[in-house]
Amino acid sequence: MDAATYVGTQRRKFLSRERVVKWAPLLVLIVLVLLFPLFEWLEDARAGDDHVYLLDSRFFSIRNAARIFISAAPALMVAIGVTFIIIMGSIDLSMEGTVSVCAVVFAFAFIAWGGTLLSWAWLALPVAVLVGAFMGFVNGLVHIKLKIPSFMASLAMGFVGTGLALLLTGGDRIRVEDPIFRSLLTERWFNFPVMCYVAFVFLLIAWFIQSRTTLGRNFYAVGGGEELAHASGLNVERVRLMGFTLAGAFFAVGALLAVGRIGIAETATGNNFMFVSITAVVVGGTALWGGIGGVWNTLVGVLIVNVINNGMVVIGLPGWVQDGTLGLLVIAAVVLSTDRKSVSFVK
Amino acid sequence: MSFIKKFIDQEKVNRRDLLLASAYGMGGVAAAGLLGPGMARAAIADPTVAWSYRNRTNPYWNEIVSGGEAFVESLGKSKEFLTHLINEGSSEKSLADVKALLSKTNGDLALAIDTNDAPNARPVVEACAEAGAYVSTLWNKTDDLHPWDFGDNYVSHMTWSDEGPAEQTARILLEAMGGKGGVVHLGGIASNNPAIERLNGLKNALVDYPDVELLDAQPADWDTQKANQVMSSFLTRYGDEITGVHCANDTIAYGVLEALRAEGIEGMPIVSYDGNPQAVELVAAGEILATVFTNPHWGGGITASLAYHAATGAFKPSEEPPEHREFYGPTIFITPEDAAEFKANYIENVPTYDWTDFWGPSNGQIQYG
Repeated sequence: MDAATYVGTQRRKFLSRERVVKWAPLLVLIVLVLLFPLFEWLEDARAGDDHVYLLDSRFFSIRNAARIFISAAPALMVAIGVTFIIIMGSIDLSMEGTVSVCAVVFAFAFIAWGGTLLSWAWLALPVAVLVGAFMGFVNGLVHIKLKIPSFMASLAMGFVGTGLALLLTGGDRIRVEDPIFRSLLTERWFNFPVMCYVAFVFLLIAWFIQSRTTLGRNFYAVGGGEELAHASGLNVERVRLMGFTLAGAFFAVGALLAVGRIGIAETATGNNFMFVSITAVVVGGTALWGGIGGVWNTLVGVLIVNVINNGMVVIGLPGWVQDGTLGLLVIAAVVLSTDRKSVSFVK
Repeated sequence: MSFIKKFIDQEKVNRRDLLLASAYGMGGVAAAGLLGPGMARAAIADPTVAWSYRNRTNPYWNEIVSGGEAFVESLGKSKEFLTHLINEGSSEKSLADVKALLSKTNGDLALAIDTNDAPNARPVVEACAEAGAYVSTLWNKTDDLHPWDFGDNYVSHMTWSDEGPAEQTARILLEAMGGKGGVVHLGGIASNNPAIERLNGLKNALVDYPDVELLDAQPADWDTQKANQVMSSFLTRYGDEITGVHCANDTIAYGVLEALRAEGIEGMPIVSYDGNPQAVELVAAGEILATVFTNPHWGGGITASLAYHAATGAFKPSEEPPEHREFYGPTIFITPEDAAEFKANYIENVPTYDWTDFWGPSNGQIQYG
């Protein structure tokens, strides 16, 4: 190898696939955050108003950051749950049903046991998480024991969940009006509502599970090569079952934050979470075939999706452009994170 | 070889029987054809009663179907007597389910249906008329499809025009804003007819209030959480310029209220639509200025009742005037002054309706623009 070729390889190494894939989502997020104020600047410049880029931006402000974080918090919890599953190379589509059931069970229990966090009603919080974990556990059992692909098993369980939530509520909406519970939204520390901090704490817990526990490492082992993991003596079925249970628990936390945000629990509480969470995980750079990515990717992905949703309205673009843009981003993200040379066929 | 001969003889007889049976069958079909659709029977003693709709998750459809259940209970039957055909937003499934039920009941069917989209109404109505069943439609049908073109079998069609009522609530809103400032509109699914009509209502009212600017109108898909996010984005874009909010329905208004609450904004004038119980309470508390009640409970019950009573021969649809075949449903305005009274009359006790008073609360014949 002569010197010139060597330097060439080195340079290529600096912008290697791995590095691009690792940092591209964050880059996209930063570009978006700088792009929307640019549109605002253009709009004001055209109208002849004074506008210092970023400083006078309505989008690039603490108040708007708080708004984006509020809308991102419940979706982040759900997306973290599904991240674990996707790292394993499976998929969980039961989130809409699970979120609805957890929200409704929480609301019923909360009201029945006193209706304020200062009474025994606080027990409704852990109960909702347990219900979520249980639903995830059943989901995992169906997937493993009946040997149904996770895609189908979880989708079906999601429908079961939506049906169950409907059965429980009879189509009604339940209002949770306890001011202490609602302080998740109304109480602000350093400009951000409490729910943002709660979501951050659970993000740290998820990060801990992912990086500091055997279970977390096992998720990567299963996703990176299930046969190999199995041959090395890993009980793959058990890891999967625990993964789905854990995901269910995180869906439940998402449900609690969603109820905290609008003060209503209903069958429709789970609506849209499937699209937002899967999009966020994929856009964040977690590969759909497993083994790559993690909860920080998911944080970036959720923020990208919510920044787009918020920014599009802020710069005054119609709704269908938002959906279209998100769709294109998903394709771009998959293209980026897929080493297509190594994939011989796609099904 | 006698068994072969026997076999051939047997087959001959079988074949002759088959031919005879076929000829007889064809004759039967031809005879039925002579009588034409709908002439097969004048009345059905005990028709199956069915409601075909999207699903029960949506509070609006839940109310519709509870009306249908109340109607079958008024016949002295249990709730379970009502057959539910759930289309989950698919016109194909809607039509397939109706056809399946028609063959199962042999046409002894009184069907109330929202066909999911307008073009699907024709095949549904034609299938029912052909089988001699009786059908009443709600919301969706094309303008060229009329009950009177199908004799008695297409009993009635009911819909609502939301433009007028939405304009009236918009006027209440614009007055409350003092006739100046900026208003935002959060709409339903952009392609839905009611969503379009309700935005048009606002635009019509705005003509008389030149000092009010329509800052923005975005779809919130009838969804509380989506509305919550859209409203907070509006607050970023327009901030204090927003002095009033026009919501396409109540579920959107809940999301808007929470977005305002998160920012500590109080006393923002808001109007909505649908008159859900929770919204009525918010109107009574003064948090929403006005909403419009379309009485889906009555609509669901009366649509089933019309089909049922036409099927049993209690009345003959073809003898009724056009305004009894195609009509608008009721609209009731709810403002803080009458919210308490409305709550007592409609929510705390669901009124027991006279399900044979078919057209009492209705709102005149459908006009085509």
